Amino acid sequence: MKILNTITKLAVLLAILLLLGLLGYAVFGNRVFIKSSPIVGQQASDFTLELFNGEKIKLSDIKGKAVLLNFWASWCIPCKDEAPALEASWKKYKDKQVVFIGVNVWDDKDSALLYLKEFGGEYENGMDPKGEIAVGYGVGGVPETLFIDTSGKIVDKYIGPLTEVIIDYFLGKALSQDHGITKGVN
Amino acid sequence: MINKINLLKKTFVFTTSISFILVLLTFNTFADSIDNQVREISYLLMCPVCQGQTVAESNSELATQMRAIIKQKLEEGESKKEIIAYFVNRYGETILGAPPPKGANWLIWVLPALALLFGGAGIAIFLHKSKSEKGKEKTKEISNEQPIQAESKYLEKLDEELKEFES
Repeated sequence: MKILNTITKLAVLLAILLLLGLLGYAVFGNRVFIKSSPIVGQQASDFTLELFNGEKIKLSDIKGKAVLLNFWASWCIPCKDEAPALEASWKKYKDKQVVFIGVNVWDDKDSALLYLKEFGGEYENGMDPKGEIAVGYGVGGVPETLFIDTSGKIVDKYIGPLTEVIIDYFLGKALSQDHGITKGVN
Repeated sequence: MINKINLLKKTFVFTTSISFILVLLTFNTFADSIDNQVREISYLLMCPVCQGQTVAESNSELATQMRAIIKQKLEEGESKKEIIAYFVNRYGETILGAPPPKGANWLIWVLPALALLFGGAGIAIFLHKSKSEKGKEKTKEISNEQPIQAESKYLEKLDEELKEFES
C-alpha cells in the first residue's frame, strides 16, 4: 500500500511539473508572437486579372517592376480609408518602375464600379470573381496588400488600411535590392 | 437474312444501352467520389474569416471559393496532401483543423492519453484502496460480533439458572 501511495504522489508531482513546464514555455518560451504570413519570401504566383476596362493584366508580363497588389471590396470601410493614400502614392510612383494593381474580391461589379468612381483608383483594377487570386495569395480579409519586388518575390504583406508613409516604406523595400522580411506587419 | 439483320440490330441496341448505362454509372461514381473528397478536405481546413468553422461548414464567400478551388484541384489530379499543402503554404498551419503532430504540438496529442492513463491509474488505486479498507472493517465487525453472541448465550443460561434457583 505504501508503494502505491508513493506512486500516486510521484504521478501528481509529475503532472504538476509538466503543467508548470507548459506554463513556463508559454510565458518565457522562444516563440514568435507576431504572426508572419507564410507567403512572404515566396515567389509570387502568376495570375491574369481581367480589368474593369475590359483589358487584361498578367503578373509575369510586368516582371522587372515592383508591384503593389491591393485586395479590396466596395463594402469595406477601411478600404475607403486607404483609398486616398493609394491614389496619391500611385501618382507618385507610376513613373518609378512600380505597378499598382487593385483586386476587387467578394463583391459585385456595379458596386465596385461605383466605388471606383467615388474613391478613385485610376491604376489597374479588376475583379477576382472566383477568388483564385485572393486564395492564391492567402488573403483572408480586406484590405490586404502584398508588395512584390522587381525579381517577382513577395517581400511583405500588410493587413489593414494603408497610409502614404506605410506605402513609401514597403515600396522602398521592394525597390531596393537588400530588403529583409519584416515581421510584425505581415 | 432478315432475322439475322434484326438480331444484329437488337445486339447493337442492347450493347449501346449497356455501354451508356455503364458510362453514366462511372461518371456518377467519379462525381460522387470527387464531392466526397472535397467534403473530406474541407473538413480538415478552417475557414480563415469565420469563428471556429471549417471550410466545409461555412457559408462565407471565401469558404465557397475555397471548396471550388479544392474541387478544381482534385479534378486536375492533385492529391489530398498536395491540396492541403497548397493552403498551408498560403495561410499557414493555423488553417489546419488539427495541429500537425510535430514539435510542441506533440503535447496536444500525447497529453489526453497521459491524462487518461494517470487518471485511470488513480481511480484504480482509489478503488483498490477503498475495497481493501472495507474488507478490513467487515472482518473487524465480524470479530467484534462473536464475543457478544457468545456472551449473550452465557447470559441466557445464567438467567435460566437463576430462574430455576428462585423457583
